[in-house]
Amino acid sequence: MKDIFAEFYNKVIGFFRRTEEAEESSKDVARNRLRVVLMQDRTNLTPELMEKMRKELIELLSKYVEMDKEALELNLEQEGDQMALMLSIPVLRAKEESEITAEDEASDEKTEETEEDSDNTDAEESSDETADDEEELSVEDDSDDDSDDEDEFENDACDCGKCEKCNPKNKKK
Amino acid sequence: MSGRVIVITSGKGGVGKTTTNANIGTALARAGKKVVMIDTDLGLRNLDLLLGLENRIVYTIVDVVEGRCKLKQALVKDKKNPNLCLLAAAQTRDKSAVTEEQLKEICEELQKDYDFILVDCPAGIEQGFQNAVAGASEAIVVTTPEMSAVRDADRIIGLLEAKEEIKSYKLLINRVRPNLIKSNDMMSVDDVVEILSADLIGIIPEDTGIITSTNKGEPIVNDEKSLAGKAYNNVARRIIGEDVPFLNLEEETSVMAKVKKFFSGLVGKEK
Repeated sequence: MKDIFAEFYNKVIGFFRRTEEAEESSKDVARNRLRVVLMQDRTNLTPELMEKMRKELIELLSKYVEMDKEALELNLEQEGDQMALMLSIPVLRAKEESEITAEDEASDEKTEETEEDSDNTDAEESSDETADDEEELSVEDDSDDDSDDEDEFENDACDCGKCEKCNPKNKKK
Repeated sequence: MSGRVIVITSGKGGVGKTTTNANIGTALARAGKKVVMIDTDLGLRNLDLLLGLENRIVYTIVDVVEGRCKLKQALVKDKKNPNLCLLAAAQTRDKSAVTEEQLKEICEELQKDYDFILVDCPAGIEQGFQNAVAGASEAIVVTTPEMSAVRDADRIIGLLEAKEEIKSYKLLINRVRPNLIKSNDMMSVDDVVEILSADLIGIIPEDTGIITSTNKGEPIVNDEKSLAGKAYNNVARRIIGEDVPFLNLEEETSVMAKVKKFFSGLVGKEK
């Protein structure tokens, strides 16, 4: 008898849950989380590396399209025996050719300005956070530190579409 | 005679390796096979408890390896089934007391006289695992439909695939709870099989009877009425080579389904 009541109760509650929230079930959450974590286990692609790849892709692609950077999804997925890297980019607007070339020129100038910075980050990546200078505040350094994703997005997101100009390191200089 | 050496492993602890070992071993012996179980969990032995043999152990695997007794002397016969015996682990030593080579030799020796040698593997992927796997040519990977157990099983499968000696491995999903699966609060057997992409050899439902059977030191396969016991018996039959369909756990557990089945049975008879 107890079983029947329990089942009935679960059904009623389950019905309301489904209609109210239409959330994915805890089983689906588990399955999806597990898929992701196994993918990482099998490939040795750490979350930090994925985040780094994500940021670099955003940097590269934002030269050509204006996109919703926070909604950009980069996931490893299993398709049968094959592993696939799935990239979904919500495009807000494709950029004009003139904009792209203008940005190219701008970034050429930028490289001269920031050369010192980028040299420094390269060195740090290879030597695993040895340098304790103030340059550690640069965006690239944040990407190595997976604990503050939120901050990264804030640093990253900018209204002008030309990220480089909103970088905190530039502001500080 | 050249017996089959099967290692029962899982990666994660507490998923039911030892329970599985005790039950499959007992079921195989009940089917008339000569079975020896080796507990390789040195320092944390438990297989003796599940079989109710804890008071009969005189010599352990370490005594055999260190030459204090002959292999045959160390084998403890089961209380009920003369086909079944246990080579116990030492409780006072650590995993380094036995080497891979030594375990291999023991398995080879036992293969001459027994149909099945079941090796109970310790949790983890360190030396204890390497030792347990050393003499085996087949493996049963025990997991439950929980994330952590499945993840560890995936790791174990990766390690087993890298071992040349392991010719085949099968998946046993333990502690399945049909009600939770039905309400979408537990991954289903199909989900786990798909994620691990391994062949299935058994689905064991969660059964409170396991606790009481452990209390008594009597494997649940001896209880004809128990669902988990039936499921373990089926695993043993599959190991022997019989083609046994998997139990339909949902049907067995849900009251409504039983009622439906009863009525459909009546209708069937009338026709």
